[in-house]
Amino acid sequence: MFPALHEVPASTSSPRSTRLASPRRDDTPTLWRTVTSSFRDRIGLPGPCRGSPGDVPSFTWIQTHFRHSRLGSGRAPLPSPFSPARGLKSQGMSRKRPRLVPETFGSRRRRGPGGAGEEPPGGEAGSVRRALRELGELFPRLLFQDALPPIALKSQVYSLVPDRTAADRQLRELRELGEVRVIQLGFDADAQGIVFTEDFRTKALASCRGRPYEGTVKRFLASVLPACGDLSFHQDQMTQTFGFRDCEITQLVNAGVLTVRDAGSWWLSVPGAGRFVKYFVKGRQAVLGMVRKSKYRELLLSELLARRAPLSVRLGLPYHVHDLIGGQLLDIVPTTSGTLLRLPET
Amino acid sequence: MLGFLEARQVGLDDPGRLRRAEATRSMLSGGSDGIIALYDLENFSRKVHYTCKSICSVGRNHPDVHKYSVETVQWYPHDTGMFTSSSFDKTLKIWDTNTLQPADVFHFEGTVYSHHMSPVATKHCLIAVGTKGPKVQLCDLKSGSCSHILQGHRQEILAVSWSPRYEYILATASADSKVKLWDIRRASGCLITLDQHNGEKSKASSEAANTAHNGRVNGLCFTRDGLHLLTIGTDDRMRLWNSSNGENTLVNYGKVCNESRKGLKFTISHGCSPEFVFVPYGSAIAVYTVYSGELITMLRGHYNTVDCCVFQPNFQELYSGSRDCNILAWVPALREPLPDEDDEAETQKNPAFEDAWSSSDEEG
Repeated sequence: MFPALHEVPASTSSPRSTRLASPRRDDTPTLWRTVTSSFRDRIGLPGPCRGSPGDVPSFTWIQTHFRHSRLGSGRAPLPSPFSPARGLKSQGMSRKRPRLVPETFGSRRRRGPGGAGEEPPGGEAGSVRRALRELGELFPRLLFQDALPPIALKSQVYSLVPDRTAADRQLRELRELGEVRVIQLGFDADAQGIVFTEDFRTKALASCRGRPYEGTVKRFLASVLPACGDLSFHQDQMTQTFGFRDCEITQLVNAGVLTVRDAGSWWLSVPGAGRFVKYFVKGRQAVLGMVRKSKYRELLLSELLARRAPLSVRLGLPYHVHDLIGGQLLDIVPTTSGTLLRLPET
Repeated sequence: MLGFLEARQVGLDDPGRLRRAEATRSMLSGGSDGIIALYDLENFSRKVHYTCKSICSVGRNHPDVHKYSVETVQWYPHDTGMFTSSSFDKTLKIWDTNTLQPADVFHFEGTVYSHHMSPVATKHCLIAVGTKGPKVQLCDLKSGSCSHILQGHRQEILAVSWSPRYEYILATASADSKVKLWDIRRASGCLITLDQHNGEKSKASSEAANTAHNGRVNGLCFTRDGLHLLTIGTDDRMRLWNSSNGENTLVNYGKVCNESRKGLKFTISHGCSPEFVFVPYGSAIAVYTVYSGELITMLRGHYNTVDCCVFQPNFQELYSGSRDCNILAWVPALREPLPDEDDEAETQKNPAFEDAWSSSDEEG
């Protein structure tokens, strides 16, 4: 599923042996890198690491003719799913370092913001919709016995659509059209899950089939969902506008469609999402731990995906990696050996 | 290509951290040791790397030097004959530049986090002061006393800024997560309290109603035309607001790490297209485009946390001060445009280098 970014040596018992074998830095000895790691050229292209602390290769910023070469963390586009980061180049550096083979053959040259910034066919919301579908495919349905609709997180969408403002705008449009619902997942104020409304409705109905509260849930899904696109509902809204009694609201909470937020207000929720949240939180910590334990607190993406996931990662490594990248819990550094994931220093 | 120059604090004893640099052609900087130094920013040496010398300074042996860290310094908006400085020693001092003597001192009850004087004011000369108390004080230069108090915040005021467009509009940011816009001519409360959810109460927990950020609001900066306001908070977010109606424009800058417990001084470029905002991000400076939220680059050069940065529109230079006691000047490097790839095939060849050899047997 993932294109081979570079040949990872087969039996890698320890990260250290992999590092020395991988062709990422040409002749730079490992010691050199520890000294200069804090001044490491973020572009990640090889060339002698400039040594002394006083001589720092920093970026130039141009105010007039600005060719927006995408530099820095978290900005390398990852079109579906993890194709090799195209050679990002600061155009001001070309005189000072030798040209790379891929650039000589012109395959990796980038101009302008390109990439995911182009307007895709399918209207304004097209790229986010596609991203949501891809993430839905990554979601492990069998793990939950197909009882949950595929949930994607907003941070995962940012990983697939690098322009955050555009992604937010497209998500808002999708919400206004009623195609998606945003669910507050609860463990983090920022972590919001996105589900397609159709999937959500199907699974919610399926989960309450044969139960006493089935009628109330059906009424809720039919009347409240299309009318109100919010994440949460208030007491007044529920009782006066939609005509639900208190006991019916309790039934909805028991069904899992509403979760208590505050006295007199409730979040919209997916029935059975508790298990998902539990696996998600554990899996996120486990994947972060994998990067944290590696020697320089960084891992090549291909290496991370090739490793066996620890048992607490039930949702799959790619699912978590998208979330960590989009949530900026890991920095992306494009290198010639592929994308490197690094824990941010702060 | 290296693009930075160094300006070291020369001639000062034991420089502390840099707090704030305000630039015209001379630059003022206040340090955490209470020292205020003036630098001349002109570069008459033809070298790429140069050091700006300190012209004069209010050092530790000056009788009226601030006792604790200088938080904010600002030139008098109309000329460089005067400057103001506020410090953790609960005072705001007005200095005469030529004699380097304080012309006036305002005392407050709490430590002063920030002060600002309106750059466009002609009808008043009020300095807005944000202190540890929840009241914003407006000190009048003409009369020498505090003429106004603006009430509305609940915790300490971390940043204040006058609008560069209207001389009566003031924005204040506080540790209670709220940013308020005031018209100082009004007797009643603030004009607008900025709400990050734009009135949609459903998005967040109910404690977060009507707040600009989910944490303390550390820094404020108006764009140069005064139409937008940028705020930065300890929830690691930066938000762009429409300053006329207080609406969150929902531009997403991603995570902007902010660990400062005091105010964070960031700045916006002037005269660039598109406009950039320079935000201290750990030991680097992050450069974003203002209206699209894209991270352009990180400027690395400091060895320790960067605390403040300021943009000089005439030289188009950025100056940043950090805890490693250095002020660095960042200069945009001009480079010649690279040749297009498509043109490579059509490069002119000198006919002397073309060979007339043909591989065909008949031609010979």
